[in-house]
Amino acid sequence: MIETTQLHKRFGQKVAVESLDLDLATGEFFCFLGPNGAGKTTTIKMLTGLIRPTSGRARVGGVDVQQDPVAAKRLLGYVPDHPFLYDKLTGREMLRFVAGLYRMDVAEFHRRVDSMLETFELAQVADQLVEHYSHGMRQKLSFACCFLHQPKVVVVDEPWVGLDPKNIRAVKQFLRQRADEDGLTIFMSTHTLSIAEEVADRIGIIHRGRLLHVGTVEEIKALARRRQEHQLGGSLEDVFLELTRDEEAYGP
Amino acid sequence: MTPFGALIWAKQRIAVHTIASVRGESKLKVTLVSAAAVAMWFGLFRMSQLGFRLFETFFAEILGDAGLSFSDLVMSRLLASFAFALLVLLTFSNLLVSYATLYRSREMPYLVQSPVPVATLFLGRFVECVSFSSWASAFLGSPLLLAYGIETAAPWTFYPAVVLFFLPFVIIPAALGTAATLLLVRVVAGHRRRVLPALAALVAVAVALFILTPERVDPPNLADPSSLAGVVQAMGSSQHPLLPSQWLAGGVFAAATGDLAEAGFSLLLLASNAALLLWLATLLAERVFYPGWSDLLGADEQSGPKPSHGGIFSKLDGLTRWLPEPYRSLVAKDVRTFWREPTQWSQFLLLFGIMALYLANMRGDVAAIDRATWQAWGTLLNLAASMLILASLTSRFIYPLISLEGRRIWILGLAPLTMRQLVRQKYWFSVSTTAFFTLGLATLSSLRLDLDAFELAVSLGTVAATTFALSGLAVGLGALYPNFEEDNPSRVVSGLGGTLNFFLSMLYILVVTGLLAVVLLTARLGSISDGAHSALTAACFAVVLGLTLVATWLPLRLGMRHLETMEL
Repeated sequence: MIETTQLHKRFGQKVAVESLDLDLATGEFFCFLGPNGAGKTTTIKMLTGLIRPTSGRARVGGVDVQQDPVAAKRLLGYVPDHPFLYDKLTGREMLRFVAGLYRMDVAEFHRRVDSMLETFELAQVADQLVEHYSHGMRQKLSFACCFLHQPKVVVVDEPWVGLDPKNIRAVKQFLRQRADEDGLTIFMSTHTLSIAEEVADRIGIIHRGRLLHVGTVEEIKALARRRQEHQLGGSLEDVFLELTRDEEAYGP
Repeated sequence: MTPFGALIWAKQRIAVHTIASVRGESKLKVTLVSAAAVAMWFGLFRMSQLGFRLFETFFAEILGDAGLSFSDLVMSRLLASFAFALLVLLTFSNLLVSYATLYRSREMPYLVQSPVPVATLFLGRFVECVSFSSWASAFLGSPLLLAYGIETAAPWTFYPAVVLFFLPFVIIPAALGTAATLLLVRVVAGHRRRVLPALAALVAVAVALFILTPERVDPPNLADPSSLAGVVQAMGSSQHPLLPSQWLAGGVFAAATGDLAEAGFSLLLLASNAALLLWLATLLAERVFYPGWSDLLGADEQSGPKPSHGGIFSKLDGLTRWLPEPYRSLVAKDVRTFWREPTQWSQFLLLFGIMALYLANMRGDVAAIDRATWQAWGTLLNLAASMLILASLTSRFIYPLISLEGRRIWILGLAPLTMRQLVRQKYWFSVSTTAFFTLGLATLSSLRLDLDAFELAVSLGTVAATTFALSGLAVGLGALYPNFEEDNPSRVVSGLGGTLNFFLSMLYILVVTGLLAVVLLTARLGSISDGAHSALTAACFAVVLGLTLVATWLPLRLGMRHLETMEL
């Protein structure tokens, strides 16, 4: 559902993403890990059509993001790390606005809106202006906006900021459930390694624009164990820190 | 709902909620701002009415029984000049507004990643550009055109015609300005270092040519009707048949004289050209918006951290060394953030260009008027102009300073720095920076007017007092009504506090100008004895001083108290 071929982005002399090849299957939950400035956000911006790649291509649901951006974006849902919401709209109005952008049928919108508000526990505040929402409520509203049009692929950039533990669990379960039950493909960039370890089908580690490793959590851990003579602590965090500390030694 | 419908619907709902939120504002504040807006509108209406009557009387005397009417000779030219000035101003205004709206507003990343075709996105944002850049023209132009209609006894068809003409007319400069922005971003974004110096050089050459080769028009000599010909001819240069402003002026003039066929033709000419230009701008947007947008995001990524050595800002630390901390750090931060925000310094340069034009057009004497009268009026009008420029500076650039601390205000809140110190820093920063420009302008313009010592002292003293007062108003009200949620200074200024600041600044200028008129005109026109004039001058300056103290102290005190008690 997400496919990148030799996806490359250069900002002046700086290579932000170097020849990225990825292939995500339908219903796959993929976690994209990397230190700050590794190229995660640039990759997401290319996948969501916010910036043009210098070379290579990105496809969403088989549609080239640059060749047919409207069709590709229609399949896509995106929750950025700092979501934009109109402060002077109510939660319900914000959802209606999103429905318009995605050309949703009015009847379909009315059918879906209440379930989205219920799912993300926003029904009580749906008719309040967004400017009165807490950070967590804003984050939940941005999830509701993302899922309203039933995307086939969801790109999520560090979604846990501002959510309390209860909501983190709820969102985590919701995403996992959508992937398992609806075949939703999820591409999630995060620094919260414990969550990635818990929910991901596969993990990709990017550092200095290069994709170092892709595999299941166990494969990544095994890879690190194999390449290092001594055994690491066992958690994904240990492996991640080790790989991104000295990636030159391992190579992709 | 279509994506375009959704974009417009959202803006309409936002407008409804914003208007409704006024109910939550202080009644006193709302009443004051509404009353000031209504007073300003009626003031403009009355001034326009009196101006048209004065023209009518003046030209009736000059023309005598030449068989020509005031309307025939001057009115169409006056309207064309007004429309041309509006066309130029709106084009520049749209150039700046469209950059902020299309490339820098916080909602754009969200809209760009949504499945909205570029043309639809562009048109949705274009509507916002037009509304944002043209509302002031409607507010300031409506009293003028209403006065024109009444004074020329225009038929009723004139009034709906004016409204009909307005929409296609404002679309033309908006399409031109927006297209220029699209092209500039496309060309500059990816190659800033190479293109920007070339563009700056081009603009500098154009400005130099414009200032050095002015088409001078001598003002008419009242005793010599033939001198009017030059003025009337010069005004006619804005009547070129290919100018959209002429289609507006000609159409409105035709509607006022009951020539509906001509008015209809002009309206269709305007509407068809507006539609064509909008279509061309949309085609251009389809081709260049996304590459420009992408390059601009890339340029932002590239800009990254700059080396701390070298460059103009390295001198800033040296220049501010004499300031004690924390003032030094705050001043350095304010200067740096100002110059690194293109929408800020581009508008500042525009204002600076207007000041240069103003100076280039000044003259020491006019053949038609005796020297004493000209100097008295010249001083008064020059002072009013200097004060208005100062008000523009403080309203546009100083008022938003505290709001622009934005969500980072907690950094200042946590620092060992009181809010009182912050307000004081903004105040003295405002006084010192604006005084540099306004005292410079007042000195240069006084020299150009060849004023004597008394008038020069009055000019500089008044401008200095105004600098203190308007800075106090802008900083004080900026602290009293901060908007920490908004990053766009233009939007901060257009809030209730910004509007209140603007009107109070205008009120201060009106009162001070009135008092100066008493001092300058009675001295020059010799209507009272020297002793009485000295006493009158002292009394007027005492009132100016008192007013300045109140305008400085009261808002600053209220602003400090508000920031100290508010929860950050």
